[in-house]
Amino acid sequence: MRGAARSATNALTGGRNGLPEWLFTGKTAGTLLLAVICSVLFWTVSLYASALRDPRYLDGWVLAGGMVAQLLFHVALRKRSGTPKSFRRWRAFHIMVGYVLIGAFLSHSDFSLPDTTLEWSLSMGFVLVTLSGLFGTYLSWSVKAKHGISDGISFERIAARREEIAREVQDAAMHASQPPEDHRLPPLPYDSWIADLYANHLMAFLEGPGQFTAHLFGSQRRLKRVTGEIDMLMRYVDAEGQKKLAAIRELVVEKDRLDYARVYLGLTKGWLYVHLPVTYGLVVLTVLHGIVVYAFSSGAW
Amino acid sequence: MLRLGKYWPAPSAGGAQMPAERRGRLARWVALATVVSLSIIFVLSTGTQFLMPGPLTGAHASIESCSSCHAASGSGKLSWLKGLAKREPHADSKACLTCHTMPNTAFNAHGATDDVLRRSTERLTKTAAALSSPITARAQNFAFPTHDMVAGGLQCATCHQEHQGSAFDPKLVANEQCRSCHIVKFDSFDKGHPVFETYPFRRRTRLIYDHAAHFGKHFPEVAKKDSTKTIPATCATCHDNNAEKRVMGLASFDKTCRTCHLDQITGKERASGPKGVPFLALPGVDVASLKSKNAAIGEWPQDSDAALTPFMKVMIGRTPQGQAVLDAVDRLNLQDLTSASEAEIKAVANLVWEIKTLFNALVSGQASEIFAGLNFASGREAASNIVADLTASLPRDVLVSAQRTWLPNLTKEMAGADARERQRSDLDPVTSSFVRLAHAETQIRSDADPLRVFLERRSGSIQLAEGDSHGEDTIKRRILPSGTPRAIRGETIDGESQPRSLTKGTGRSVIPSLDDPITLPDAAGATDAGGGAPPSNTDPADQSDELLKPTETELKEIKAREKGAPPAPSGGRPAIATPSPGGAAPPPGQGQNSAAEATLPTSDTPDAAPEDGDVDAEEWAQAGGWYRQDYAIYYRPTGHKDRFIASWLQLTGPSAPRDDKGPASSVFNFLTGKDAQGSCAKCHSVDDVPGKGRVVNFAPATVQSKAGQFTRFMHEPHFGLMGDRGCLGCHALEKGRSPLKSYEQGDPRLFVSNFGNIKKDACQSCHASGVARQDCSLCHVYHVNGSATAIMKTKIPTP
Repeated sequence: MRGAARSATNALTGGRNGLPEWLFTGKTAGTLLLAVICSVLFWTVSLYASALRDPRYLDGWVLAGGMVAQLLFHVALRKRSGTPKSFRRWRAFHIMVGYVLIGAFLSHSDFSLPDTTLEWSLSMGFVLVTLSGLFGTYLSWSVKAKHGISDGISFERIAARREEIAREVQDAAMHASQPPEDHRLPPLPYDSWIADLYANHLMAFLEGPGQFTAHLFGSQRRLKRVTGEIDMLMRYVDAEGQKKLAAIRELVVEKDRLDYARVYLGLTKGWLYVHLPVTYGLVVLTVLHGIVVYAFSSGAW
Repeated sequence: MLRLGKYWPAPSAGGAQMPAERRGRLARWVALATVVSLSIIFVLSTGTQFLMPGPLTGAHASIESCSSCHAASGSGKLSWLKGLAKREPHADSKACLTCHTMPNTAFNAHGATDDVLRRSTERLTKTAAALSSPITARAQNFAFPTHDMVAGGLQCATCHQEHQGSAFDPKLVANEQCRSCHIVKFDSFDKGHPVFETYPFRRRTRLIYDHAAHFGKHFPEVAKKDSTKTIPATCATCHDNNAEKRVMGLASFDKTCRTCHLDQITGKERASGPKGVPFLALPGVDVASLKSKNAAIGEWPQDSDAALTPFMKVMIGRTPQGQAVLDAVDRLNLQDLTSASEAEIKAVANLVWEIKTLFNALVSGQASEIFAGLNFASGREAASNIVADLTASLPRDVLVSAQRTWLPNLTKEMAGADARERQRSDLDPVTSSFVRLAHAETQIRSDADPLRVFLERRSGSIQLAEGDSHGEDTIKRRILPSGTPRAIRGETIDGESQPRSLTKGTGRSVIPSLDDPITLPDAAGATDAGGGAPPSNTDPADQSDELLKPTETELKEIKAREKGAPPAPSGGRPAIATPSPGGAAPPPGQGQNSAAEATLPTSDTPDAAPEDGDVDAEEWAQAGGWYRQDYAIYYRPTGHKDRFIASWLQLTGPSAPRDDKGPASSVFNFLTGKDAQGSCAKCHSVDDVPGKGRVVNFAPATVQSKAGQFTRFMHEPHFGLMGDRGCLGCHALEKGRSPLKSYEQGDPRLFVSNFGNIKKDACQSCHASGVARQDCSLCHVYHVNGSATAIMKTKIPTP
C-alpha cells in the first residue's frame, strides 16, 4: 500500500528529474522493451511482406530461433552450472523471449485460427507451452508479491508441521487456566469461550490442507474471518486469555502460510510437468513443419 | 551443487528420483508419442492431405493432388521430400499456366515484354527524380530490395498465396507490394501518386473526327440547311458503353454518320470525276505513233483517253515480266509517243500485249486464277471469299461485253500472238495455256461457234494435216474447269479434239507469225489501215492470213446480217466499233455465262454497240456495282463498309509503305487519296506500321486493342456521378486545336486531341482516403496481356 501510494505520488508530482518514478522500475522497463521489440517485429514483417516475400518465413524463423533460445535455458538448467545471479538473468531472459515469441506466433498465424490437423497440433502445442509458461511466471510473481515463502518451508514438511500446529492450538484452547486467588466472585468462563472458539472456528480451519483456490487467487478472506473472531474474543477475556488467544492467533497465521506454501510449491512442481513435455512435443512438430514448408515452398522467401 | 532454493527441494538423502529427472523422462516419452502419432496419422491419411497447411480457395477446390500445383511433390507418400532438393524455380508457376494461360512473358513483371518494361522504367525514372519516396518505402528498399527477385523472373506464388481458406481471394495484392517494384514510390493515390501526363489518350482516334468542328460548325449548318436530318443531341447518341464496359464504343455508322456522309461514300455528292472506281480500262496510247514506228500492237482503240488503272498494274505486275513492262513505261506519256525511242515504243507495245493478255485471261478463264495470286503479304493463294471481295463478283458478261466492244478480235489476236508467247517463257501458265488453246482454233479463226467448225470440217473446207504437228505447238492438255466453252477446250460437237496443227488445204500453216503485225479488216472486209503496217513479208493486197480473211460462207452471213442490221458506223470506221456507254449487264434474254452458248466475236465486224439509248451507266449504277463507261469498267461503292474497296485496302496495305512506288502502293494510294471513291480514308485513318506497310483503321477501338495497357477504367460506374457536365466533366473539349493535322502523317502516337488530358484532381475528388477505393488494383492491371483458362481438350467419345 505504501509503495503504491509512493508510486502514485511520484507519478503525479514527478519523480527523478521530472520523469515519473514508475518509468525507472524494472518491470516498466521490461514492458516497454517488450512493446518495442514486438513493434519492431511486426513492422519488419510488414516490410518483408511488402517486398514480395512471404512473411511467414521471417516470423517463422523468428519463432524457431526463439524456441532454440528457450531450449538453451532448459539445457543450462539441466547442467546446473552457473551462479544464482546468472540463473535469475537466464530466467528473466527466458520469460522475455517467451513474451516476444507470443507476438511472433500471432504474426506467423496471421492472427487467425488454424485450419488443419497439423496446424492445430502446432498451435495447441505452442499455446500449452505458452500458457504453462505464463502460469509459471504468475506463480513466481505471486510468491514475490506475497513476500515469498519462508526458507525453512519445504513441500514435504508442510503436512507434518500442519499437524503440529493443530495439536498446539488444541492444547492451547483446551488448557484450563488457573483460577484467581481472590474468590469473592466466581470467575468468568474465559476458557470455555476459547474452547467454544476452537470448536466453532479453529478446528475446521486447522484440519487438513485447504484454501487452494483462495491462495491461488490471493484471497485472505477466510484467514481474516478466523483472526477476526480471535481478535473479537480477545477483548472480552482476561490477560491470561489474551495471551492464549495471541498464541493461537500466531499458529493460525502460520497454518495459513503453510497452506499458501503448499499451494504454490505444489503448483510450482506441477506446471513444469506440462511446460517441459509439451515443449518437447512442440519441437518435434516444429521440425516436421519446417521440412514440409520447404518441401512444398513456392514463391519468394 | 546449486541449491535452487525455495522452488526445488533439496535432494533427498534416500536417493529417490528428482522431479527434474521425472519430468525429463516424461518429456522424452511425450516427444516419442508425438512422433509415433504423427506417423500413424500420416500413414492412415489420404495422400499427403495431412500436410496441407490450409484449405484451397474455392476456385481450386477440385484439385486433389498436391502434385497438380507442386511440381516436385510427386504422388507418393514421401515423394514430396524431393522438394527439399534444389529445383527449377518456375516449375510450380508453370503448373499454374496449364490452366491460366498467358503469353510467354508471363514471368516478367506485368507479363510485359522486356522492351516495354525498359521504356516504362526510363520514363518513370524521370518522374521519380522529382518525387520523394515515403520512409517506409525507403526502409523496405534498403532492407529487402526486390530488384534481383524481379530480374530473375517472378513466380506466381510471389503474389498469389494459396491455402488460406476457401473464401480467400488470392488475387488481392497490397499496395505496398505493388510499390516495392516500382521506381516511383508513394503512399496512396491521394498521397503522392504522380499527376497524369497524357492519360487517357495514347494515340489518335482511329476514326478521323473533329469534335469541335462538328459541334461548332457542321451540325449547325446541317440543321439549318435540312431540319429533317438527324443531328446528335448528346454524346451518348454516338458513344455508348459496350458490353465490355471498358471501352466507350461507337454506335454504328447507320445510327451516327449515315445521315450526312452516305452520299459522299456512294458518290452522289461527288461533283467531278467518275463516281466509280476505275478497275479495268484500255488506256489511251498514241496509236498513230506506234503505227508509224511499226509497233505491232494489233487492234487498239484510238480514242481512248483512259489511264492504266492501279488495279491493272497490280494484275499485270504480278509476274516479273509484267512488272518489268510496267517499270519500262512508268515515266512515259502513253498518249504522246512522238519522241519515244525504239525501246520505249517496244515497251509500250509490250504493255499493250500485256493488257490484252490480261483481258483474254479474264474473259477466257476464271477470275480466281488471276486474283488468287495477289496475296502480297502472305504469299499464299487468296481464299475464294477474298477473291469474291476483290472482284465484287464482277460478272463475266461485263468483261465479255467490254472485250467485244473494245477488242473484238482479241481472241484471234491472242492466238496469233502465241508464237510470240513461245519466246516469252515467263508468261503465266494460265495465259500461255489459253493462248495455246486459242491457237488450236486457228482453223476456225476462233470466232466461229462449234457448229460452224463441225460444218466446215465436214464440208472439207478445212483439211487436217495428219501427223503435222508443230513441236512447240504441242499443247499440254490440262483439265479446264467446267463451263469453259468448247471452242476453247478444242472440242467439236461430237467431242473430238481439235488437231493442233491445221492447214487449210494449202499445206501451209494458217498460224500467222507473231512478228507479223495483225491487220484488221473493216466491216466490208477491207484491211484496216489503222490497224498497223502491212506485214513485211506479205503483200497487203494479197493477204494470205486466213485468220482474218472471211470465208465465202462467212461473207454471206455477214451480208445477210447487214441487210437486216442497222447501218454500220459512218466513215468506214475500222473494226473497232465505237463503244457506247453501258454494258453493265447483258440485256435480258441473253445467256449469262453458259459455256455451251458462249460465242466469240466475229473476225470481221465488231459487235455492234449495245443499244443503251440515253441511259447513263454511272447513274444506272448509283446503288453500287459494276458498270462500263467509255473505255473503262468501273465499280461504284454500294455504301458504307463496301467489301470491294475494303478488301483491296486490306490486301495492298501491308505491302504499301508510305512513299513506296510499287503496284500495291499505287492501289492503296488510289483508294485512300483525298478524292478517292468511297471516301474511306476521309474518316478511317491510315496508320504506318513499321515493316508492315500501312493499315486502314476500319474498326474502332475494342477491348482487345486495350491489351497491354497498364490501366483499366470502367465508365459505367461513373455515369451517375457526373451531374450536368456529363462527359465533359472529365473530357474537356479544348478549343483552338487542330486534330485533323494529326492525320497528315502516319504515326498514330503523334497527335493532337480535341479533348484535354484527364486531370488527376478529377479522380482524386472521390478516390481519396475515407471516400472511395484508391488501391492500385482498382485502376491498374497487373497482367496486362490477360489471363485465360483454355477450354479442355475433350476427345470425342467413341461408341
